[in-house]
Amino acid sequence: MSVRGIVAVLLASAALLALDAGLPQLLNPYYLTIASRIGIAIIAAVSLQLVNGFTGQFSIGHAGFMAIGAYGSAALSVYVGAGLLESMGSVLPATLARALYFPLPLLVGGVAAAAAGLLVGIPTLRLRGDYLAIATLGFGEIIRIGILNLDAVGGARGFSLAAPGHPGVDLRFEGLGGLYAVVLLSVIAIARLVYSSGGLAFRAVGEDEIAAESIGVGTTRIKVEAFVVSSFFAGVAGALFAHGEGYIHTNSFGFARSFEIVVFVVLGGLGSLTGAILAAAALTAAPELLRGLGEWRMILYSLLLIATMLVRPQGLLGRRELVIPRWRWRWPRLGPRRAPA
Amino acid sequence: MPLLELQQLAVRFGGLTAVAGLDLVAEEGSLLALIGPNGAGKTTAFNAITGVYAPSEGRVRFAGREIGGARPHAIARLGIARTFQNIRLFRTLSALENVLAALAGAERSSFRDVGRGSRWRERERRARERALELLERLGLERFAGARADSLAYGEQRRLEIARALATAPRLLLLDEPAAGMNPSEKRSLRELVRRLRSEFRLTIVLIDHDVQFVMDLCDRVAVLDHGEKIADGPPQAVRRDPKVIEAYLGRDDAADGSSPAPATCDAGSREHA
Repeated sequence: MSVRGIVAVLLASAALLALDAGLPQLLNPYYLTIASRIGIAIIAAVSLQLVNGFTGQFSIGHAGFMAIGAYGSAALSVYVGAGLLESMGSVLPATLARALYFPLPLLVGGVAAAAAGLLVGIPTLRLRGDYLAIATLGFGEIIRIGILNLDAVGGARGFSLAAPGHPGVDLRFEGLGGLYAVVLLSVIAIARLVYSSGGLAFRAVGEDEIAAESIGVGTTRIKVEAFVVSSFFAGVAGALFAHGEGYIHTNSFGFARSFEIVVFVVLGGLGSLTGAILAAAALTAAPELLRGLGEWRMILYSLLLIATMLVRPQGLLGRRELVIPRWRWRWPRLGPRRAPA
Repeated sequence: MPLLELQQLAVRFGGLTAVAGLDLVAEEGSLLALIGPNGAGKTTAFNAITGVYAPSEGRVRFAGREIGGARPHAIARLGIARTFQNIRLFRTLSALENVLAALAGAERSSFRDVGRGSRWRERERRARERALELLERLGLERFAGARADSLAYGEQRRLEIARALATAPRLLLLDEPAAGMNPSEKRSLRELVRRLRSEFRLTIVLIDHDVQFVMDLCDRVAVLDHGEKIADGPPQAVRRDPKVIEAYLGRDDAADGSSPAPATCDAGSREHA
């Protein structure tokens, strides 16, 4: 790793630790919850951007994969994790035991969602445009309703992250440092995947499938790849959500949630990671910040969306990325610019 | 040795026969032109060779192996690259990225790019160098950072060729590279095709409907009309072939039986009138 890389990692860790320790002193729990929801929304938006923005497919069932991640990881924690955490706690200091344990459910949630993404992706990604959208919407609902009828994870009662056999174990994941570390890693992974010459395959498929095939890109494979990676991170987001809230219900993963993520991606600009991040943050915070307006807030929120689409139909950032010039994912002077006149 | 060989190739769409029983051979290293009026089946033949359509009948052999019905990307990886009649660039990517995408096109996975060690940087640097070199060979280096759709028409055509060359093909299929060009642009395109053929040791098949354009460029000319091959041979012979003249100009029934019209196949200009 280069010196600059080490400095970056140290700086990021310091910032995350400060976030973890400092923010709870400054803000009340209500704002902390919003902050953690923003982090989760960012992962969901950035992962959907890979499919909808870069690979040019239109999936609107992202919440279904979040649900799999949420329920998969929650089931793991309740049925296995609580015991594991208890025995780890008896040997190790509590903080360390928790820090070692929590990556596990996130990974399991992600892998479960990725596996579902593979199963759903192989048949549906042969469809195009509207048909794909409808199929993904349908699968999202099938997943949600399937879970709703699973008694092992609470069914219609919802699923609480409390293990009956281990009453003393807290399965909730607290503190923003860890959460934003995951957010940061997810964003970096997807950015690196897309912004490299291998990742051009995603954008090539998004631009023109026939041309992509003509240069040796297996379009079906690339689409499935994008879908699986995207589902993985949706699963991670779901797992973070489950362990942050401590209680999950399938209502959180319906249509509305899926559409919300699509809105992040479209409003931020199809094909812009930083756009998706900004939109996810702004649109998650907006309804809360507008709460003072009472019933008017949802109307204002909608008007805000309509106005943005009228003024900037290509989204906030279009296809551009907001980057500190020197950093540019180490790919200087590659972004599309105007031709010299 | 024939690099590309079509045997009794037929492509049908429902009741429409776009290509019927086409036999065609492109020898290694040769420059073959496929000409014919609009709707003759030239592009359909290209699409059948590159796997965009599966042949309804017949065989497509490339370098001694049957490729008929294979997926387009698999065929591309075997060494057949092409350009398109109505330019298909990755429009919002830069010129350089268009070429880079083709250089990396056949790579099995993009996941190793997430690690980004010194190997990745080295690979990425080499790919960029190679891409810039290709752009330079086509006179596009100063547009490297420009969005593909911001380039002028002729430059877009050349960028498509650069992208095709990036896949390191043995056979290059050019679908109407001269379309929409004025005479001086056509002249420089001819030069370019000649140069690329020798520099990259390519076998080239190119489509055009202008006999004049391919006359002093190609070794052989095959003429299609209504999906069938009506002539195949050296340019000078094909140019005088009465069937070719008829396909382009139509038959003059009044003069039927009298001496055939003097065969100045500027006939192709009918298409551009």
